[in-house]
Parts: sequence; structure tokens; C-alpha cells
Amino acid sequence: MASPLEHFVNTVRTQTINGTFRELVEYLSKTNEILQKNSQHLDNVLETLDFQQHSLGVLYLLCAKFNYINPTAQDNRFTQAQGFIQDCNGEQIRLAPDVFAELCHLITKYLTEIKQPMKGIDLMRKAIAKLRLFDAQLTSIHADLCQLCLLAKCFKPALEILNIDITGICQETSSSSNNSQFDAKYFLLYFYYGGMIYLALKNLDRALYFFEVAITIPAHAVSHVMLEAYKKYVIVSLLLHGKEQPIPKYASHVVNRFIKPLSQPYGALAAAFELNNNLELNNVINKHTEVFARDHNLGLVKQVSSVLYKKNIQRLTKTFLTLSLSDVASRVGLQSPSDAERYILYMIEEKQIYATINQKDGMVIFLDEPDKHSGSEVLKELETELSLCMELDKQILAMDCDIQVNPQFVRKATGGQDDEQPNKSTYAM
Amino acid sequence: MDFPDFTQLMVDLEKQELEAPNGGASPQVYEQLLAIYLYNHDLCNAKYLWKRTPAQIKSSNPELSHIWTIGQFMWKKDYPAIYRSLNSVTWSDTVADIMLKVQESVQNRAVELISQAYSSIRLETVCAMTGLSAETCSKACLEKQWQIEADTQIVHPIRSNAESAGQTNSEDQLYKLTDFVSFLEN
Repeated sequence: MASPLEHFVNTVRTQTINGTFRELVEYLSKTNEILQKNSQHLDNVLETLDFQQHSLGVLYLLCAKFNYINPTAQDNRFTQAQGFIQDCNGEQIRLAPDVFAELCHLITKYLTEIKQPMKGIDLMRKAIAKLRLFDAQLTSIHADLCQLCLLAKCFKPALEILNIDITGICQETSSSSNNSQFDAKYFLLYFYYGGMIYLALKNLDRALYFFEVAITIPAHAVSHVMLEAYKKYVIVSLLLHGKEQPIPKYASHVVNRFIKPLSQPYGALAAAFELNNNLELNNVINKHTEVFARDHNLGLVKQVSSVLYKKNIQRLTKTFLTLSLSDVASRVGLQSPSDAERYILYMIEEKQIYATINQKDGMVIFLDEPDKHSGSEVLKELETELSLCMELDKQILAMDCDIQVNPQFVRKATGGQDDEQPNKSTYAM
Repeated sequence: MDFPDFTQLMVDLEKQELEAPNGGASPQVYEQLLAIYLYNHDLCNAKYLWKRTPAQIKSSNPELSHIWTIGQFMWKKDYPAIYRSLNSVTWSDTVADIMLKVQESVQNRAVELISQAYSSIRLETVCAMTGLSAETCSKACLEKQWQIEADTQIVHPIRSNAESAGQTNSEDQLYKLTDFVSFLEN
């Protein structure tokens, strides 16, 4: 074994025994070059260290392995990484969260390249569990998990993570590295991928929320992820609400100034949709087919066109009490009465309208929404909503408390002399 | 009719798929999981399960594609086709039980939908949506006290009001109420 590596092993061992992990991280962060130069011996070194005991050392070694070695036929690095994430010591790796996350990104990249994303899903779940301190904490590995799930077309494992609302962000800086905190890229990707997963499972409400978060992140420059998220935001809001939802006021001006003009076809789509005219909508769709196809949004756009029929039927319920099926068909622009019946049947099943069909006379009777404002079900719903609100209030109070005692804030709020910029109100945002 | 709970089996199967060493579980896992998704009417997950099933398993297990054909018809809400394809295949032991339940659950959904959506409906439509013969169908309708006009063969379904038995005990409710009040007062 080459001597620098011997030194490496010895340092890892002694520092671990002494329990001086901070110094160890500092030392390790400077070993990149040594590891790169001696990359052919990394396996030997790995054998001398224990995953559980010397987690930090192994972590740096594995990272180097993924970074510097070209995959050969007998590639054992995935198995090693798997074993490591399974057995590693959470306390140790939390001292070098950036490296740990980096390792996960590398594994994800590797699995994507060999086209076996399925293998990594369970692993990433475990990695997230090791790194985060509490359930609602976001780590940059979240984005990896979502990416793998999307690639594998296997969404259930991601839902467990996505269904938890994020209230905290893992500070992925270790004492040694001075670069970046949480990389905005992974934050954006998490919400973009998450939105796509919800969209695939037709949970439109949640999908819209995720895209909204993605486009309201403070920004000074256009991010490609944000641009794509905006396009999907427009489409989902058409699918869900039948009109383009306004962009929240707290979104950065980048969205209005640059992203909107860049996704002009989507604006046209929304405008045509709001005219409630299928002909017009199809014209727009045909005109921009190429753009939609290039953005891989064509399937969604087609859904928009079928939703317009439903929206128009829904509008009829506001005007008429009874209507014949052939009238419905002609007013909405459907081919035949039986088509109209199919749409109405579907909408009744989805509880989008309340109506009964009379096949004897070929009529539809539109009903009022049944009075459901009594009974235990409503009470239960009310209870859950209330407890959600209470939870939110608690969160806000806690965050407010945090800000109040933040030394920086106190200095700015009370100092007075040197507060040229952020005053109290901008800080409270 | 009893409704077995496949949840536990489903969780197990999902786990098996994730932990399969080479990214592909055994064909039985895919078959059962797909069937369970159909039983739960979870078409989105069924679709993506089909999409992620390795091509080689698909080609060596024709039964899997039979199951998915039904899924496709369920997606399109083509009831006659669902029953046709359900009954055209003799299912292997792996999925026979579940497929039987799939049929029951599809029928139940159809009956529920008819009672919600129609005030009068042709008997043949009822037959198509439930996959029953005209005779059994009219018997079943009468059993549900749906009137049938003999001359026109029109059925008058009765709207059923689904009452959920969501009884909460009062102590629990009291506890929650105390919570709300204490929250509001602070």
C-alpha cells in the first residue's frame, strides 16, 4: 500500500478512536488529491476500514471512487455504497452532510447511466432517513429520490416523502467547506419532480402547489427548471380550475419579465381555453404542436382539450335545469348525443356535476349540489382542517420566535445607525 | 359479498419489487400487484407498473398482458370489453382469486354509478355495464327494488344514499373541542 494512503488510514483510525470528528473532517477534506492519485488502491483501503466505525473515512473514499475511477466490467462500487448507506453512522455523516449528499448524487447519476433507477429507490430512502434530523426536513437527496422514482416509473415510495410538508432545510455545509449552503438547484428539482409525480398520479391539487412553490422561489436569473415548472403550472391550473391561476404576488419579477414571454404558446393556450371554444383551442394546439411536443407536454395539452368539454358541460348546469342529450352535444360541440352521455356519466362518477340521465326521453336533469352540510362527515372534515390551521399557526409562531432572537435581526431592528437596507418588514418576510 | 383486504399483500409485493436484486422481481409479483391495483381501481399506479415491467417478463408471461388489457378497458370505461376479457381467459392460480374480486368490484362500481346517474335506463345498458345476462339482470334489479317497465324494458333505479358510519366517540370529540377552544383563547 502506498504510504500516503497508510497515513490516511492511520489518521482516520486514531481520530475516530479519540472522537475528534471535526478535526477528522477537516483533514479528510484536504485528502482529495491523495485519493485521486492513488485511486487504484482505494479498494485495499476500504477493506481496512469499518463502515459503521469509520463512516467518515469510508464516505470520502467512496466519493473518490465514484469520482475518479472509470467503471470496469467488475464494478463493485454500487454494492459497496449500498452496504455503506445501510450501515453508516448517522452522527458521523451529519458532520459532512455535503459529502454524503454528493455521494448520493453520484450514485443517482451512476444508476441513471446504467439505466437501473429501480435499484436506488430504497437506498435513497434510507439515505434520507440517515441524514435528516426530523421528518419535515428537506435534504438535497430528496431530489435524487424523486428523479429515480420518475425514471423507474415507480411513484409510491416517493409519495411517502412528498406527502410531508417541508418546514426545514438541512444545512448542507460541513465545518471544512466554505462553498454554498443548500444548492438551489436541488430545491427547485425537488419541487419540479415532485409536481410531476403528483401530476402522473392525477393528484392535480398537490401538483399545482408543488409547481407554485417552484416558480415562487426568489430568483434573479431565469432557471430552466423554473421555466419548465411555469409551463406545467399553466397547464395544471387549466386542468384543475379551468382558468389560468394568477401567479402569487411574492413570486420574483423574473417570472413576469422573462419566463412569461419565453413560454408564449402556453399563454396562448390559456387564452384560447378561456374563450370556451373548442375550435379556437384546437387551432392553438395545432399551431404550437411542435413546441408542446418538444417540451414533452403534448399529452397534457391533449388533456386540456378534453377538459374543455367538461367545463362547458359544467357551465350548462348553471343555465339549464333539464336539457336533452342532443342539445348538450350540439352546445358543447360534441359529435353525438351518446358522446355527451359518456362525458356526463364520467363527470357524475367524478362528482364534478350533479345530474341524472333519463335514457327513456334522452334528457339530462341537472340537480343542485346535494345538501351535505350536516352529518358527521362534515364535522370530521372541519376537525381536520382546524387542526391543520392550528398546526400552521404553531409553526408561524415558532418561526417568528426564531427571528425575534436572531442576533442579526435584533441588531438591525434596534441598531438604527447602520440600517440602510433591510428594515423590519422585509426581514419578516 | 365480502371484500378482502389486499393492502398487506400489496405492501409486501411493492417491497419485493423494490428489493429485487437486479431491478426485476419475479413475474408473479408483477401479476399479483397489477391485479390488486385494478381491484382498488388504482389505474394510475397500474399503468405505471405496466410501463416499468421489464420487457422480457412481459413477453414470457402472456397472462400479465391479459391483465393489463382489462386495465386499459377500465381506463376507457368500456364495460362490455372489461367483462369480455375477464371471462375469456382462464386465470392461473396466482391471480385467479384476485381477478374474481376485480370483477366483483367493477360490477359494484357500475351498479353504484347507475343508481347515482340514471333516473331511467334501458335494460340492455344495465346488462352491458354489469356484464350480466338480461334475465339475471332483471332479477337483480327487482331485488334492489328497481322497477322495470315490461313493455319498454326501461329500468328505474333508486338513488341510494351512501351513509358512512363514521361514528366518533363523544370523549374523543370533547377532547378535540377543548383543543380548539384553548387554541382560540390563546
